Amino acid sequence: MSTVDYTRELSVLEAKPALRELDDLISKPIETKPNKKFYIALSITLSMLSLLVIGLGLTFYFGIGMWGNNNPVGWAFDIVNFVFWVGIGHAGTLISAILFLFRQKWRTGIARFAEGMTIFAVMTAGLFPLIHLGRPWLAGYLFPYPSQNSIWVNFTSPLLWDVFAVSTYFTVSLIFWYVGLVPDFATLREKTNHKFKKIIYSVFSLGWRFSNRHWQNYEMVYLILAGFATPLVLSVHTIVSFDFAVSIIPGWHTTIFPPYFVAGAVFSGFAMVQNVLIIVRKIFNYEHIITLDTLEKMNKVILLTGSMVGYGYAMEFFIAWYSGVEAEQFTFLNRALGPYAWAFWIMISCNVLLPQLFWIKKNRRTIPVMFAIAVFINVGMWFERFVIIVTSLSRDFLPSSWAYYKPTLVDGMILIGSFGFFFTWILLFVKALPVVSMAEVKAVVDGAQPSHKEL
Amino acid sequence: MSSSSVEYYRKELPSKVQTIGLVLLLVGLVIIILGYIVNPARSAQNNIIGFTFVVSIAVGSLFFVAIEYLSGAVWSTPFRRVGEFLSSLIVILPFLAIPLLLNINSVFHWTHPKPADKILIGKAPYLNVQFFIFRVIVFWLIWLVFYYFITKNSRKQDQTKDQFLTTANVKLSAIFMPLFALTITFTAIDWLMSLAPHWFSTIFGVYYFSGTVLAALAAGTIFIVLLNERGYFVEEIHTDSYYSLGALLFAFTNFWAYIAFSQFLLIWYANLPEETLWFLDRWNGNWKFFSIGLLLVHFLIPYIGLLSQPSKSNPKRLVVMASVLLFAHYYDLYWLVMPNFYKDGIVFGWIELGFPILIAGLVISVFVYKSKKVNLVPIGDPKLKRGIDFRL
Repeated sequence: MSTVDYTRELSVLEAKPALRELDDLISKPIETKPNKKFYIALSITLSMLSLLVIGLGLTFYFGIGMWGNNNPVGWAFDIVNFVFWVGIGHAGTLISAILFLFRQKWRTGIARFAEGMTIFAVMTAGLFPLIHLGRPWLAGYLFPYPSQNSIWVNFTSPLLWDVFAVSTYFTVSLIFWYVGLVPDFATLREKTNHKFKKIIYSVFSLGWRFSNRHWQNYEMVYLILAGFATPLVLSVHTIVSFDFAVSIIPGWHTTIFPPYFVAGAVFSGFAMVQNVLIIVRKIFNYEHIITLDTLEKMNKVILLTGSMVGYGYAMEFFIAWYSGVEAEQFTFLNRALGPYAWAFWIMISCNVLLPQLFWIKKNRRTIPVMFAIAVFINVGMWFERFVIIVTSLSRDFLPSSWAYYKPTLVDGMILIGSFGFFFTWILLFVKALPVVSMAEVKAVVDGAQPSHKEL
Repeated sequence: MSSSSVEYYRKELPSKVQTIGLVLLLVGLVIIILGYIVNPARSAQNNIIGFTFVVSIAVGSLFFVAIEYLSGAVWSTPFRRVGEFLSSLIVILPFLAIPLLLNINSVFHWTHPKPADKILIGKAPYLNVQFFIFRVIVFWLIWLVFYYFITKNSRKQDQTKDQFLTTANVKLSAIFMPLFALTITFTAIDWLMSLAPHWFSTIFGVYYFSGTVLAALAAGTIFIVLLNERGYFVEEIHTDSYYSLGALLFAFTNFWAYIAFSQFLLIWYANLPEETLWFLDRWNGNWKFFSIGLLLVHFLIPYIGLLSQPSKSNPKRLVVMASVLLFAHYYDLYWLVMPNFYKDGIVFGWIELGFPILIAGLVISVFVYKSKKVNLVPIGDPKLKRGIDFRL
């Protein structure tokens, strides 16, 4: 076993790169023409995206009868996908805002990408409530405004709170992301010789001149935005959990839902960030910026949040028994042993059992192992939402109305298509903007901080 | 750059502190003994508050020690001994539990369920006296073992300066974390939730956890700031280190409010009689005002007091807010326990004073006792120098 030297701070980056080198390396994908591989990847995601277009076209033309939703199971793939994608977005804000408040410098290499991912994930998630309306052209009614008919939205419904929470979250995330990008736009502006690009970068860099005063204001704004984003990110998945927990459906109405949903969201989001960054760092040669140490720390967060989710499952089961409420006890036995037991055990093995492999240091530092575990975690987290939503609805208080839910082909197309939508945005992002924050990474190079002086 | 460059001179606490601690301890003890003679049931109810409060400080402090090792934090290293000293309260927990266990029938009515009460009889496999006592002992042993080994390694490092001891403690802390989560949860369910044995809430363990960490952090903050202002640590510790304490107090204040509100809103909204009864007990008569007071003292006052950036590193503000939060945790436990027994309104008399006085005396005496035997600064810790040099 290698011994750790605790007397000195570990470097965030490997091999102490020169500052100029970092700029060149990070802006390289933006300054060069995309290669063949990029177009192959893009054609795959666009093909998936076209499935979404077809699925939505069928849905809008024929109505949501094209989906598998039936009488007791009125919420199924649509809401499962919504919760899944909102959850994916959470890791971005955790990394960019909460880890920033906790002064975790290792976040610098991954924060920009994670924030971008948040925005695309929330956009993907936002599709689902709209299409779930059945008549998406009436979506404007979700916003409260004094209409001629004096019809107001239902302010006591958590579904409406979702509209506020998600739209606020999206706005603040976008601003936070953009503020972080301003110094990098200025760097790109200085680097480029292309006339048209220069104009674009100049506009977006808001006249940034790298002056001391700019940096001071920038850091204050960044801190304040991080302070805003932190309660917002908690509120979003909390309110998503309220969608279920304020009802009296057994398996939905449980007080631990808010923190347990937030932990689950961070869990799946980290798994997604880890997956995509493993590919990005390999293709763009960022291995010394997004280091193995950083990935190991991400895997520790995955282990922590995965265990929190496991705690949530265990508590639900224990209290269902302890409560003495027959309907609760039935619901949980039905999850584990009923017709959807297969989904339940996929969830347990992917979310609770597999991540425990991260207790072993070697697994946390072996790329193929961590990649595979994170893929399974995202499968498991999708199934978690499926288990919660579908099992509780398919068998509730009235046995005569029990029914089994089966997704249709259109459901599947929309699910796959949502991945196409998300990854198309990701691909455009990695080609159009710096995936790693040049300004922040330069600040964590060894020797850049006053506390490094004695090295 | 080894930690040997840190100069630390041991400074004894004034003997006055020890006297105050002992006097409080004795006064508290006398009140409690008288209380048990006059009104055993009510004393036992207060005993639950006292016991869970000391668990919060003791086990919560051990949690912070473990978190420091796990996260690799350095700003808190110069102060870590405060957490270690406070966690030594784990050793005396049985003395607080025994009088209660002798009066178990007068506080937990699940010990003698009515034959017609099917729900309580259904819970008997979990809620029975033997298993309850078994859990109390097992949880205590778990805390004791981790307390013993983690602090032992830390003390040993004062002499040997061996970095491997830090690695060993990191591993111990990792194993402690899941056990901590489970023991604190079931302590909350056993001692606090089962007072209303028909009531249930899945978030309850997290609720007690949020109060536990806040109380431990508040107690630690009071000691750290008061001692550092008088130069008991290393001289050059900068007030930047206070900022982290203030920020954590602020964060956990919000966390408590978030958990408390989640529990309240979901139960209020669903409006199921088997769940709302618990909150209704806390809204009857003048308990209403007590409940509103909880919101003030546990959230609004510390929230406003610690919101601004300068206030998080202001030593006076920190001591005041930490004291408010420490009081708030006792208040919270009182709110959790007493309305189960006194449905008509708030009760407060001399019996209620016994445990707070005893605990204040206990915490001071244990701290003084420990500080005579162990360095207040972990002088052999490899992270110490970095902790002293810490700047925001």
